[in-house]
Amino acid sequence: MVSSMESGQVREQLLLVERAAAAPYVQYPPTPWWYAPIVGAWTAAFIAGFAWWRENGAIFTAWLGILLAAEALFLIWMRRRHGALPMPGHGKPPAEIAAVWRGYFVGVAAIAVLVALAWWFGGVPVAAAAAFALVTAGLVIYERKYAIAAGKVRDRLA
Amino acid sequence: MIDGLDPVIHVPKRLAAMAILANAPSASFRFLKEQLRLTDSDLSKQMSALEAADYVKSTKDGHGRGASTTFSMTRAGRKAYAAHCAALRALMDPA
Repeated sequence: MVSSMESGQVREQLLLVERAAAAPYVQYPPTPWWYAPIVGAWTAAFIAGFAWWRENGAIFTAWLGILLAAEALFLIWMRRRHGALPMPGHGKPPAEIAAVWRGYFVGVAAIAVLVALAWWFGGVPVAAAAAFALVTAGLVIYERKYAIAAGKVRDRLA
Repeated sequence: MIDGLDPVIHVPKRLAAMAILANAPSASFRFLKEQLRLTDSDLSKQMSALEAADYVKSTKDGHGRGASTTFSMTRAGRKAYAAHCAALRALMDPA
């Protein structure tokens, strides 16, 4: 039973909560070198599949199915590897991480616009190539910023 | 009992486990064990107490040596954890 608590104990419990709550965001295995290019290639493959959109609906649908299945397997693997993979909308990330996540979503929107422009001016092959380059570079930048933010959180809560 | 403080969650090891589960859709036994620095048996004991209170649920993946257990927070657990944290903050800042 909780009968009485001194302010020191309360502060200790709140610090314990803050440290544990931050763990899913800042305690993670190193990102493999191939992560960014693989996600870039996946995005390029997704866009390239639109070449079949009007030509062959069956191939287009099968291609999307294969890519979505690959993504699902990749997410399962990432979740198992991490152990407690955080997801947007599930919990409250530390402020440092939240700022990086906001930057991520702005980056995704910017890349979407640039890829759409590449599609408009150059067609599907140019859009796929642009998607590979932009997504790979964007993820490398994001991973670096995330690692710095996670380090700051670990230092703050040490 | 102090208003809002939950005796099940109040135990520091369980409170830390709840804080982790509140920030990820699920957490593996291994992750919880490493972060909380507990032995297998101690973590099992703490998670069983949370499961008995219907605050978390466990899922077993696979069989044999490769099997792994993951935990996730229930709706009741989420509510109890939020109330417990709010009560702790209220104790620090009664105004």
